[in-house]
Amino acid sequence: MKYIPPLSFAPVVGTDVDLYRSGYPMPLNYSFIKHQLHLKTVIYVGDKDILPEYKAFLEEESIKFHHIPMKSTKDPEIQKEMETVLKLVLDVNNYPILVHSNKGKHRVGVVVGIIRKLLLGWSMTGIYQEYDLFTGGQKGDIDLEYITMFNTSINVPLDRLPDFVNFKNHPNETHEKLAV
Amino acid sequence: MSNENGRPKAHRLRKHGGDETDADLDSELEMMDKLNMASRLAENNLAKLLDNDKDLLNRVEEIKAQFQDRAKTPFSAEEDVDDIYDADEHGARSRQIMSARSGTGNKEVIPPENFSHVCGEIYRSSFPRPENFEFLRDRLKLKSILVLIPEEYPAENMKFMEETGIKLFQVGMSGNKEPFVNIPSDLLTKALEVVLNPENHPILIHCNRGKHRTGCLVGCIRKLQNWSLTMIFDEYRRFAFPKVRALDQQFIELYDDTGIIKLATENNWLSVEW
Repeated sequence: MKYIPPLSFAPVVGTDVDLYRSGYPMPLNYSFIKHQLHLKTVIYVGDKDILPEYKAFLEEESIKFHHIPMKSTKDPEIQKEMETVLKLVLDVNNYPILVHSNKGKHRVGVVVGIIRKLLLGWSMTGIYQEYDLFTGGQKGDIDLEYITMFNTSINVPLDRLPDFVNFKNHPNETHEKLAV
Repeated sequence: MSNENGRPKAHRLRKHGGDETDADLDSELEMMDKLNMASRLAENNLAKLLDNDKDLLNRVEEIKAQFQDRAKTPFSAEEDVDDIYDADEHGARSRQIMSARSGTGNKEVIPPENFSHVCGEIYRSSFPRPENFEFLRDRLKLKSILVLIPEEYPAENMKFMEETGIKLFQVGMSGNKEPFVNIPSDLLTKALEVVLNPENHPILIHCNRGKHRTGCLVGCIRKLQNWSLTMIFDEYRRFAFPKVRALDQQFIELYDDTGIIKLATENNWLSVEW
């Protein structure tokens, strides 16, 4: 039996917890997700409805589904949408997590870019490269600008932060901003 | 001597002459004579030139020698520039990045180019440079590095690995320079043996650009994970872009994994976990 991962599937974080990215999972991909990823949470950043078969699959596997209706980084509510994603990602109890959009390129690319920047402290060069890897360098300027400019201050429970979060044991400016 | 297309006229006459007449043939022969004469003339002039210019002569001899060497071994065709490690190029780039950062108090970590997480504690990237060492040491906490280039590993990387106790494995392979050079299957099996062994984890696989050789190896890991070929190739192409090679993908498809599956099963290395 062959496993067919969803479009643009890739691991994002695989240290203490598992975070994956991909495009919209279709029935062909369910067996891969079921047998390989053992997900607890799916975060969908996208504007399409949830397919009935997908809904049934997630329910059957008791995977918690969070739909964050995001069209693009130009959404008027984008800051709130992104903060909702971050709150889910910053809670160790939600893992393993799959974040997906439709094709797994732009919206997920932005989410991953922000995780790389705020939570992992990657250089912007590395972040741009990774974004380009998945989009093939197509129409990314606005997204990259958005990642570069993005900042936030949200309240998250410190005792539930995953270990990979860079500032966890080194309180600094970002720490106070992100977690009060 | 030749028309504006750079093609000898005699040839053109024959092509366009329709029914060939004696006159055509004559003029063609005449043209051939002229061509031969001209080439002999050019040879003489070149010989004379070389007699008078020792430097030029040496250079010509050098080129001739190179040409003959290559003619002897037509299948060890030159590697793609992308596949050869260029210490000067990497060094310059590294100094540029380091100097841009010095004194800025910048605390960012810099992953190597084309870096990605493959699965479990297996990572892939292009050739790591000094600015990436912190990332490899503190973030990935590497235990080993598997390098797929045949050239000697650079001194600064060796020094870094000695200091941090990271073990180096080298399985030198030339890239699939199309269409002549192929990665030998047994080398790939050897590389997989290193990668799959949990004792070596966390491990970073890299070649020069992290596109072709690394892509082939990762493709074969995906085969062991039972991925469909379509999605294996999709991943290969993402990293190899814009220099995708059909023969790399062919290699992944045809790679005979019975040997490595046997070995990995014996050692209980399968299935490859996320």
